[in-house]
Amino acid sequence: MRNLKLSVLLVLFLFAGFNTNAQDADTILKKVDEVMYSPKDMTGETKIVLTNKSGKQSTREANIIQKGTDKRIFRFTSPSSQAGIAVLSLPDDVMYLYMPAFRKERRISSSVKSQKFAGTDFSYDDMEAKPNAEKYSPKLLGTEENAFILELKPKSKKSSYSKVIMKVHKINYYPISVEFYDKGNKKIKEGKSVYKKIGKYWNAQEMTMTNLKKNHSTKMIMSNVKYDQNLSDDEFTVRKLKQ
Amino acid sequence: MKHTNLIFAILLLLIISTNIANAQEDNKVKLSGKFLTDQRFLIKDQNDWAWNENRLTLKFDKKISGNSKFYSEVWLRNFGLSNINSSNDLYNKGIIDPYNLEVREAYVQLYSFLNENLDIKIGRQRIVWGTADKLNPTDNLNPYDLEDILDFGRHRSSDAISFDYYFNSEFSLHGAFIPFFQPANMPVGIFANALNPSMKLPEGMILMGLNDKINMPEYNLAESSTAGMKFKAFAAGFDFSLSYLWGRDGMPIATYNTFTSVDILGGININTDLAFYRTHIIGADLAGSLGGVGVWAEAALFLPDNQINMKTDLSALYPQGTPTEMTIIDTIVLKKEAYVKFTVGADYNFSDGSYLNFQYMHGFVNERGNDNLNDYFFIRFEKKFFEEKLKIVPIGGGFIVSKWDDMNNNYALIYVPEISYMATDNAEIILSSVIFNGKGDNIFANLSDYNMSMFKLKYSF
Repeated sequence: MRNLKLSVLLVLFLFAGFNTNAQDADTILKKVDEVMYSPKDMTGETKIVLTNKSGKQSTREANIIQKGTDKRIFRFTSPSSQAGIAVLSLPDDVMYLYMPAFRKERRISSSVKSQKFAGTDFSYDDMEAKPNAEKYSPKLLGTEENAFILELKPKSKKSSYSKVIMKVHKINYYPISVEFYDKGNKKIKEGKSVYKKIGKYWNAQEMTMTNLKKNHSTKMIMSNVKYDQNLSDDEFTVRKLKQ
Repeated sequence: MKHTNLIFAILLLLIISTNIANAQEDNKVKLSGKFLTDQRFLIKDQNDWAWNENRLTLKFDKKISGNSKFYSEVWLRNFGLSNINSSNDLYNKGIIDPYNLEVREAYVQLYSFLNENLDIKIGRQRIVWGTADKLNPTDNLNPYDLEDILDFGRHRSSDAISFDYYFNSEFSLHGAFIPFFQPANMPVGIFANALNPSMKLPEGMILMGLNDKINMPEYNLAESSTAGMKFKAFAAGFDFSLSYLWGRDGMPIATYNTFTSVDILGGININTDLAFYRTHIIGADLAGSLGGVGVWAEAALFLPDNQINMKTDLSALYPQGTPTEMTIIDTIVLKKEAYVKFTVGADYNFSDGSYLNFQYMHGFVNERGNDNLNDYFFIRFEKKFFEEKLKIVPIGGGFIVSKWDDMNNNYALIYVPEISYMATDNAEIILSSVIFNGKGDNIFANLSDYNMSMFKLKYSF
C-alpha cells in the first residue's frame, strides 16, 4: 500500500513536472512572440546578401511593411530584374504575388510555401509573419548560460520541417538562433540573429540563414526601421500591392 | 533694414530651394528597362533566319505626389531583316536596318480620386483581365498583339480611362472605357499567314490575286467605343470575378467577296470586304488553391450583336442576265448565338524546387462560333539547378485537337524544350527550340515547316 502511494505520488510529481515544463516552454515561446510581434506595425528596408559555397556574393534589396502578426508586404527594389516584384501576406495563409511584367496579382498556392523565397535560403513559410505559438508546439529541452533551448514541433502537417530548435535569450526573450530539421530529422538549415533595441522594441538587425546541404547562406540586414506608425489595414491590400 | 530684408530673402530662397530639391529627390523619375535580343532560325536546309528583334524597353515611373503617379513604357526596336530590292533602298536606313518606336503605355494614375476608395487611370494603358496563365479568354479590352504568334497573350495598350472602386479589401468594381476602336495587329515574318483561314476554290479556278478592303467603324463614340465592367471578390479562399464587355472583335471577318475573271484558263481575282463586328462578352474567372495545388478557371461567353453573313459575288463569271440568286451566294459565317471559350489550369511547386503547369483551353484567339472552337492542352515542367541560376524545361508545349472524331488527321503537337541561365542577377540567356507537327486545319499544324531554334538574351537595368 505504501509502495502504491509512493508510485501515485511519483506519477503525480512527474505529470506535474511535465506540465510545469510544458507551461514554461509555452510561456517562453509566447514571450518570444511578444518580443518579435509586439510592435503594432513596422516599416523598413532590407539588404539581402546571398553567399554561395565558393564565397561569391550577390545582393538584393527590398522594402518591408508589416502590421501585427499576419499582414506584410515585401517589395523588391533591386536588382533590376526583380525590382517591383512584391508579396502580400494576409491572414489564413493567403498570399499574393505581384509581377509588374504581367501587370496583375496572382494567388500563391500553398505548395509554394516550402520553396525558396526569391532565391534566398528563407522559404515563403519562414517569411510568414505568423506567431511561433500558432505554428509550433514547444518543449523546453534545457538551458544554457544565457539561453533557453526550445524544441518546436510544427502543428501543421504541411510544414516541410519535422522540428525546429530555437535558442531564446534568457533575459530579453528574442531568438538567438534557430535550427531547422527535415522530415528525416536531419538538420538542414540554421539561422542566427543579431538584435538591437530600437525605441522600446528589439529589432533583428541582422538575420543569417545557412542552408547546410548546399553551403549557401542568406544575410538580411535591416535599416531605416520605424515602429508604430499607425499603418492602416488598407496598406495591406491587393490595391496597394499593385501600386 | 535693407540688409535684414536681403538676408531674409536669401534665407527664404534657400529654404524654398532646399524643399524643392528634397521634393525632386523624393519624386524623381525612375528610369528602368530591359534589353532583349531575340534571334530565331529555321531548323532545315540553309537555316533561314526566322526572327530578328533587338528591343530596348524603357520604363519611366514618376510619383507625382502621394496620390498620383505617371508611368510610361516605350519600345525602341530594330525589328526584322533588311528588305532591299533596288539601289534606291540603300539610301533608306529604315529599309536597310528596320526600326520602330512604340509607346506601349503612358498614363497618369490618380489614387483616392474624389473618393477615398476610387482610383482612376487615364491614358494609354494595358488593362489585364483574367486569372489564367497567358491564355485568357476574358482579356478583350486591349487589342491582341499577334505580331509574334509564339508570345501567347501579348496585347497592345489602348487609350482609355479606367477606374477601380474598392468597397473593402475583398470586393471591388473595375470599369474601363476606350473611346476609339483599334484592331489586333496580325503576325509578321514567317508567321504572316498563320491566322489566315484556308480557302477552297471551286474546281477549275486558280487564284491569281487577292485584295481586300477593311471597313473600319466610324470614329464616333457610338460606333468605335468599347466599354467593360468587372466585379471582383474574394470569398471562401478564392478570388473570383464577373465581367461584361461591349466592344468589337479585333480580328476582321469577311462580309463580301467579289470574284472576277482574269484569263480564260480559270484565273480569278478575289476582292474581299472585311469588317469588325460588335459583340457582347460575359466573363467569369476564379483562382485559388486546393490541397497545395494552384488552380484557376476562366470562361468568356461571346454573343455577336448580329448574325454575320458573307456574300460571294460570282456575277462576273456568269453571262449577263443570269438571275442574282445563282450568282450571289449568301452564307452565314457567324450565327447570332452564344459560344463559350474557356481555360482551366493548375500548377504545383514540388519540394525539390521543380514546377509543373498544366492548362486546357477551348477556343484560340482567332476561333469563333461553337463549331470552330478547338481544344488545346498545354504543359510546362521546369526544374532549377545551381542556386536557381540554371533552369531546364524538358517538357514544354502543347497538344491540339481540331476534330475529335478524326483525330489522326486533325491534330497538332508543339514541343518547346528550353534552357535558361542567369549569367548575372540581371542577365538571362535562353536557348530553346520549337518543333511543330500536325495535320488538318489548325494554326499550329500549318506551322510544321517552321521548326526553329531560338536564342534570347534579356538584360534588366
